[in-house]
This record gives sequence, C-alpha cells and structure tokens, in this order.
Amino acid sequence: MVRSPWLKALHDQWRSLAGISVMAGLLGALYVAFYPSIGALGDLQRFIEQLPPALMALFAAQGLDLGSPEGFLNMELFSFVGPLFVMIFAASVAAAATAGEEERGTMDLLLANPIPRWRVVVEKAWSMTIGLAVISAAMLVGIAAAAWAVNVEMNLWRVAAALASTGLLGLSLGGVALLLGALTGRRMVALGGTLALAVASFFVNGLAPLVDWLESVRPFSVFYHYVGYDPLNRGLDPFHAGVLLAIALVGTVAAAVAFEHRDLVA
Amino acid sequence: MAGATGTIMTVTTAAPAISTEGLTRFYGPHPGIVDLDLSVAPGEVFGFLGPNGAGKTTTIRLLLDFIRPTRGRARVLDLDTRADSLAIRRRVGYLPGELRLYDTLSGRELLGYFGHLRGGVDWSWVNELAERLDCDLGREVKVLSHGNRQKLGLIQAFMSRPDLLVLDEPTAGLDPLVQQTFFSLVEEARERGATAFVSSHVLPEVERLCDRVAMIAEGRMLTTERVSDLKRRALRSLEFTFAQPVPEAAFAGLPGVQELRVDGSRLRCRVMGSVDGLLKAANRYEVLNVVSQEPSLEEIFVSLYARAREEREARENDGS
Repeated sequence: MVRSPWLKALHDQWRSLAGISVMAGLLGALYVAFYPSIGALGDLQRFIEQLPPALMALFAAQGLDLGSPEGFLNMELFSFVGPLFVMIFAASVAAAATAGEEERGTMDLLLANPIPRWRVVVEKAWSMTIGLAVISAAMLVGIAAAAWAVNVEMNLWRVAAALASTGLLGLSLGGVALLLGALTGRRMVALGGTLALAVASFFVNGLAPLVDWLESVRPFSVFYHYVGYDPLNRGLDPFHAGVLLAIALVGTVAAAVAFEHRDLVA
Repeated sequence: MAGATGTIMTVTTAAPAISTEGLTRFYGPHPGIVDLDLSVAPGEVFGFLGPNGAGKTTTIRLLLDFIRPTRGRARVLDLDTRADSLAIRRRVGYLPGELRLYDTLSGRELLGYFGHLRGGVDWSWVNELAERLDCDLGREVKVLSHGNRQKLGLIQAFMSRPDLLVLDEPTAGLDPLVQQTFFSLVEEARERGATAFVSSHVLPEVERLCDRVAMIAEGRMLTTERVSDLKRRALRSLEFTFAQPVPEAAFAGLPGVQELRVDGSRLRCRVMGSVDGLLKAANRYEVLNVVSQEPSLEEIFVSLYARAREEREARENDGS
C-alpha cells in the first residue's frame, strides 16, 4: 500500500531492487562456490603476482592473498563488482529522488499535498537506505549459503562487516547524488556527477600506493574509507564507517535544505 | 440596526481567499508576471484568463510556493504563501495545467497515496466523484487516455473538500458531458462555501463558471471585473429585418451604436451597453425579425489585449 513517499519509492524500485539483489547474491555465492577449485590451483596467485603493479593496486589493494577465501573475496567481490552494484543502485535511485519527479512533472502534484519538501528528500533517502540494506543482505545470504554448500570456512561476521562497509559506500554516494539532484533538479547531472566522483575515488584510492601525490588526496576518496583499511579482515572501522555515514547524512541534510530553497522545475 | 452594521462589517473585513500585492516574478530577464495585484473574495468563483504564456501558471505556482517571487507578496486563505505554505496546501485542492501522474499506480492507489498525505481518504466521496465523472479507478495510470487522467486529476483536487480550489485549465481534454459534471462540482463546492480560482484560455468555460475574471497578458493585469459588467460593456451585434426599407438617418447618432450599416430593409450594427435607444428607434417601423448575438468574452479579451499591446509598444517607443 502506497501511503507515503518512502513507500511510494519502494513501490517503484522493488523490481529493480529485487533484480539487483538476486544478481548480487548469486555473484557472492558463485565466487565462494568457485573458491575451492581455484584455490587448489595456486596458479591464479602466480598469474596475478605478475600483473602490472597498477592493476594489482586497483583490484587487490589490500595485498594479494588467494590462500584464504577472504582474500579471494576481497579481490573478486569487494574491490570492484560488489561496490559496482551498490553504487549503481544508490546513484540512480538518489539521482531520481527529487530530480526525477521534477523532470517527469509529478513533483508539483506531490507537493500540492501538505507535505514539507524536506520530508520528501528524507523519506526518499530512507527508501534508498532500505534498498542498500537489502542488496548487502542478499550478498551475505549468497556468500553464507555457498560457503555452507561447498564447505568453505569463513568468518561470516567479518563478511557482514565488509558488506556493511559496502552498504555505507552506497549510502555516501547516494547522499552526494541526492544533493546534486536537489541542487540542479536534473537527474543526469546528479547521476553523472556521482558516478564520476565514484570512478575518481576508485582510482585515487587504488593508485595512491603507487603515486606519491595521490597519497595526500586519498582521504577524500570514498573508496579509501570503504575498503582502504581492509574491513573484511579487520572488521568495520568506526572512523572510516563514520566518515561514509557522515557524508550520507550531510548530503541528505544539504539536499533537504537546497530543495527547500529552490524553485521547482516546471 | 447595530446588528445589521455588524453583519456588513463582517462581510467587508473578511480576508480575501487570495490576495497578491505587486507580485512579480522574472525568469532571468524575461518577465513571468509583473506587479500583479489580485484579490479573490471567499466563496467566489474567479476566472483567471489569458493566452498561453501570459503568466497564469506562474501565478498559480507562486501561490502554492513551488516557485518564489522576485518581489511582492501573496496571501492565500489569509496565510502567507512563503511562511505558511503547509497550512495553505492542507486546505487547497490543486489541478496542475500540465497534469503528470504516476504511471505505475492505479487511480485508486494514487488517490490513496495523496489521501494519506492529507490525513485520510473519504472513499465514499471519492467513489461518488469517480462515478459521476465516469472514471475507472482500478486501471493503471499509464493505460489511461488523456481525458481519463484529467478526471483523476479533478478527483484528487476535489477529494479533500478543500476551502480553495486552484484549477489550471481544468477542462482540457474533457468531453462535453464530463465538462457539465465538472461545472456542477464547482457549483456544489461554491455552495458549501469554497472558493475557486480557475485559470483558462477557454472563454465560454469562464463565462459559464465565474463571477469575476481577471485578464492577464504578457504577465500584466489587463482588467479585473465582474463577468456581467464586462458583458454589459461589450459590443453586442444586432441585426434587424424591417417590412420596408428604412432611412439610415433615423438611426444615426444613437448612444452606444457603432458600425451602423443599413442595406434597404436590413440593418446591422454593434451596440455597447443598453440597446434601449436602438430598440425605440426601430419601433417606429414594422420589425419582422431581430437577431441579437450574445457578446462573447473572446471579443472583449481580444480588444483589451490589442489595446494593452499598443500601449506597451507606445511605451517602448517612447523609451527608445
């Protein structure tokens, strides 16, 4: 039953959310399921060790360790594919939150109802948060189920911590997309700007160990706070998790303020 | 005596349902509306007339706080449009000019959504509205025709029994039968004390609905008048057929008579205001037939609009 903007947003996104969650869950399961056969080979480790250092840095920043399922997941799932799912979902949902309704011309009708503008922003951020939690949970379920099926021993608490960090990455980028959408009223600007930031963050964090001057800007990379400290092996770090959460919160609040003070796009 | 005075006092001091003072909105250098002064009395059906792009929608969007004025201010239901927008929107039913609904919802879901934002839905009233407008609430918006979407738009505007209806081009896409239903819905709303602010560029609709009209063009107010006064001032076309040819001189110089043309036993002219003088002059001859054409607001508007345009051009020429 659609009763409020956040339920309306869930109503609109549940199909794509279900699709992304199933894919993310299956992907997590597949990586774990294939681990025993790949791990036994040991050739992959040698192959990857011969990769150019730049590629190594980008996709195995936490140090290459294929000897453990966690190391394998770190490289395969958490360096690139996992965040990709989460980012695409968060950026597209948040970019569409206000800007999408303005572009489709439904915002006037919605705001003719007695609902403050800030509440529209906050409720849409809330529905995005639920979506990110669902995707992260789906990955956890996939990984846990596969680990159980192929008898791989994993610390599922640590996997959950790493997935929480992935979810927080999505949340922070969602906050940015929400703000860009609320400022401009244009969905593609919000989506493009956020994805550009994500890509830049990815490279800054990945290449920082190889390029001296990048090291100083690394703290500005959301990827650094997401995966730079190896949450899969070390658990969720309160500081880095807090930075991501703060970006999400500041982005949402700033979006609400910006949206309150702007003319709606006709 | 004191009681009567008291009553009059109440009437004269009742705050307008809508009032604007010098309301101005520019889009960059382009004026949307300029120095608009409006006053709509409570319980009135007020027509807001003008060609497309005249600033009607801009005014409405300012009233609902979707956009903010460059200068000037506006009050709706005696509340400030900026500070008390939420309280205003609680009591206003709004139909946008370019209606866009949520494609993924059915009519019933859409009305349920908006109803909940307004603190609940009176489904028996909604169903009655749907029945009268012949609108199927079970179907998804994306499969509805333009006319059926417009009906949904009307239902959501009327469903909370608002104190003020703000309707931007309400009959666009409605077939004549549904238009009749719409007219009676506005009439019923007026009877229970609601005010209606109806923007339109369809003059017969405004003539039919409204007590007073404001006419705007190029963002500026041309006139605000009672519809009946406007029509009284308007030129009425008359055509007489007499039994015998009549002399033109017998009709020349009559008050209000213009464009007099006598062609044997046939007389045509246009009359502003009362036709009494003309009728008395005609009565001296045997009249076989009279055709009087109701003056339409369209003509009034076109002449006002042309005059405003000339004045503006004159101003601009003076300036340069």
